[in-house]
Amino acid sequence: MKKGKQASARNVLPDCIIPAVALVFAIYYLTTITEVPWISQASAIFVSCLLLLSIIAFVIRTVWRIRQRRETLRLQGSFQDLFGTMPTSARRIALLALVIAYVLVIETLGFSLTTFVFVFVAIVLLSSLANWKKSLVIALSCSIIGYIVFIYFFKTRFPTGPIEDWLKGVI
Amino acid sequence: MGPDFSVFVGLLADTLGYWWVIIPATVLGIVVGAIPGFSAANTIIILLPMTLSMEPATGMIFMVALYTSSRLGAGIPAILVNIPGTAGAAATPLDGYPMAVAGRGQQALAISFTASVAAGLITTVLALVLISWLSQAVYYLHSVEMIVVMLFGISLIATISAEDQIKGLIAGFFGLMIGYIGADVVYEAPRGTFGFLELYDKVPLIPALVGLFAISEAFVVIERNTILSEKGAILQQQTGWGPTIEGIRVTFLHWKEVIWTSLLGLVIGVIPGAGAAIASFVAYQQSRILSKTPELYGTGHVPGLIAPESANNGVTSGTLIPLLIIGVPGGATAAIMAVVLEYHGINFGPDLFQSQPMIAYGSFTAMLMTYALLGLMIMPLTRYFSRVMVVPTIYMAPILIAFTLVGSFVPRAYVFDMGVAIVFGVIGYIARRTGYHVAAILIGVILGPLLENYFLRALRISQGDLGVLFSSSIGNTLWVLLLISLFAPALKRRLTRLKPVDTSASNNDDDSKA
Repeated sequence: MKKGKQASARNVLPDCIIPAVALVFAIYYLTTITEVPWISQASAIFVSCLLLLSIIAFVIRTVWRIRQRRETLRLQGSFQDLFGTMPTSARRIALLALVIAYVLVIETLGFSLTTFVFVFVAIVLLSSLANWKKSLVIALSCSIIGYIVFIYFFKTRFPTGPIEDWLKGVI
Repeated sequence: MGPDFSVFVGLLADTLGYWWVIIPATVLGIVVGAIPGFSAANTIIILLPMTLSMEPATGMIFMVALYTSSRLGAGIPAILVNIPGTAGAAATPLDGYPMAVAGRGQQALAISFTASVAAGLITTVLALVLISWLSQAVYYLHSVEMIVVMLFGISLIATISAEDQIKGLIAGFFGLMIGYIGADVVYEAPRGTFGFLELYDKVPLIPALVGLFAISEAFVVIERNTILSEKGAILQQQTGWGPTIEGIRVTFLHWKEVIWTSLLGLVIGVIPGAGAAIASFVAYQQSRILSKTPELYGTGHVPGLIAPESANNGVTSGTLIPLLIIGVPGGATAAIMAVVLEYHGINFGPDLFQSQPMIAYGSFTAMLMTYALLGLMIMPLTRYFSRVMVVPTIYMAPILIAFTLVGSFVPRAYVFDMGVAIVFGVIGYIARRTGYHVAAILIGVILGPLLENYFLRALRISQGDLGVLFSSSIGNTLWVLLLISLFAPALKRRLTRLKPVDTSASNNDDDSKA
């Protein structure tokens, strides 16, 4: 009975990430306001105290529930809880890497080229390589429509690169 | 100061002559409102060369029409894909998105549009009639009163996290701390910026919004075929105009909700610097508190969608009042309008209503026309907009990520802001997967800096005396109302528990009509 209860206990280790990040950030924030006038410190100190109290309440509740075997803290399975099972978890991480790469190169390659490559690769990643024709059409449409609507007509401040520079000379 | 009826009719007829400006501006406004990063303010800035070359009245009517329709457009992605087009629509997905996931996207859009148009028409007429009276609000609502108004909005954090209040509070206070990043408004001292100059001017709002809603949502939905739930997919297959008609009908059944939340928006709109985000959060929170079925909020409840949409459209006419009467813009878009009018050498103040009636009163009649046009134009589109929900997530997620990320670049043209969107995306994703409400974080990020600005100003004026917070009679009345709104639900619950159970009551519940 006890064993069964333990097995069904919910793993709350992933739930601790947000409070941990919030706590670290609040401590960092407080270290940056030591030199400023107290008026500038007041509301941040007040809110960080409230944050700390909420985190303490969260910790007390978690400890209480662990003692009741309703919750548990374990590393095993935490990754799955957070990112899902395979292959979804692998896809999520690959997509995140792709998003970071998109932001890193967009300033150099510009909106049209980077968006084309990103959308094409992301669709193939989320479906399969067999879907390449549809992916190509959608990626190309995104780039062309995005260029025409936002850069050509609206003159929006989109990141520009070789394609946009070339088109500027042609059109 | 309000015009008599014959003058009003004449102005309306004159405004009709500007249809060639109003129609394209309305279409453009819907589009830019629906894309995060492309607010009305940005678009008017982009189109400044064109606006400046127009006659002052034509330019003003163009800007007003664009501004009005962008407010309504911002609700479309908020309902369909959980991404508010602007901060003013940040409370819309709380109930709009669950409706869409359940296959009621078309109905949700119809509710949102009907509430927006009705609220816009009501408040614009009221603004015209009560303009001199409403303009007085600017003189009575100072930093102290605004602190309490902000707290009304922030108290929503506890409300929307009713399922797990501790997690909700952690998320909300974390958001407030993030909102405090940047140089303070009085001493310009940088705080919590990680050494990034780009963060001195606070955390940029659009990247935060894009990250918390769009990026995190895209990462969550890729494990499903479409955004729709299983039941929703079946319901979505229903075709025809039924859901649109039902949406309009349901909104009119909640006419009281539409009226009082739009009036709330109008009053908040009059206050310079307040804006649609505060109005929609406060309206949602108060609507929930006054409701007989507060537990239904956040699950796709009709009043939970009506309240923020009515309020943020009520703000629209309100923001013009301080601009036209005293030359103080009520928001970013109104500030750009001020720049355009000043370029043409137009002086603000009560005289404007005599010397340039087509600009002063014409702004409101143009707003009326835009809302009327929106009502006719956008309602038939509900049926087609809602088809977005059936697009497979393998296509939807990459397109959403690409366009919203670039949208976060647009306001300041910093690639850094795209990085900020990714960071918020990761925070939002973890929050969603672990039961923290991303809207609670966003409320903190939006309202935190505003609250602090008013707080710092109040303390600066009082030379650090905290007693200033309780120094005005209007402020003290608002404090009492805040306390009542915070404790009334708990008191009501306790009283309900003490009463004998009446089973017939639930059948007569007005809120459950929808």
